[in-house]
Amino acid sequence: MFPSHTKFLVVDDFATMRKIIKKVLNELGYTNVQEADDGKTALPMIQQALASNQPFEFIISDWNMPGMQGIELLKACKGDPRTKSIPFILVTAESEQKHILEAAKAGVSDYVVKPFNSITLKGKMERVYAKHNPPKAA
Amino acid sequence: MSAAPKMESKNPLFDKRLINAFVDGVIKTLKTMAYTEVTPGKPFIEAKFIMKGEIAGMVGMVAPPIKGTFLICFDKPAIFAILENMIGEVHTELNSDVSDGVGEMTNMIYGAAKTTLNELGYKFEMAIPSVITGISGAFSISHGHLGATLVIPFNLPNGTIFYIEIAVE
Repeated sequence: MFPSHTKFLVVDDFATMRKIIKKVLNELGYTNVQEADDGKTALPMIQQALASNQPFEFIISDWNMPGMQGIELLKACKGDPRTKSIPFILVTAESEQKHILEAAKAGVSDYVVKPFNSITLKGKMERVYAKHNPPKAA
Repeated sequence: MSAAPKMESKNPLFDKRLINAFVDGVIKTLKTMAYTEVTPGKPFIEAKFIMKGEIAGMVGMVAPPIKGTFLICFDKPAIFAILENMIGEVHTELNSDVSDGVGEMTNMIYGAAKTTLNELGYKFEMAIPSVITGISGAFSISHGHLGATLVIPFNLPNGTIFYIEIAVE
């Protein structure tokens, strides 16, 4: 699993959902968590963190937001060689196949459908860790 | 996947699958996010939209030719109990944090119901909810699609009731 000092960015236009995700992360031992209320706010934070050599190491974003949608933020991250390898989970009420496929095509690490509980989010994070850290061949 | 529903010949308010999709969405969202078991009451139709409660989340439902509005309406004791279970915050007054919680709940419930309905052949799109507050029965919403309204009450373990209302043009 990701180390406890992992730096998270949680992006959602509803503070309630940011609180819920932050609460789950805290319960899992992650306290280095910053928040943004849409993609438009998140993107400069991601770039600023890179510039200060303290990049975000995990992004958890809502899809359906005013300003800049989560899928656009994902595409922006995947389109930049400096941020393309940051694990990126979309947390969203959009659970139709077409949306899941669009997110997969854009390179999402995993996808959490609302409503969800802490066990679901933890499970997805473990899967993302395994995906980004495949076991080394002996 | 089922065939698309014949909406031109059927008012969606009388489609039992639509009612079930929203009832299931409410039950699942409250159980998963707020560890709260809710019991649905008997749905009924009101000829004219009258908003219940003191705070409501509202989202436009558009799936041509259907234009409608989905609302979830709470009195203070109901929403305060749900938010305490959901994020551990105790509220005694309606404020921006409570409004935000109502908005997110509206988003989740509508999203869950929309997914079920679209699998049945409807074509609802996701929309960003808004939240309105005020005194029960005193609301006037001019730009919603608010005619005959399907109302479904839900009972909370603390004895309070909240409502979802679906109005279709």
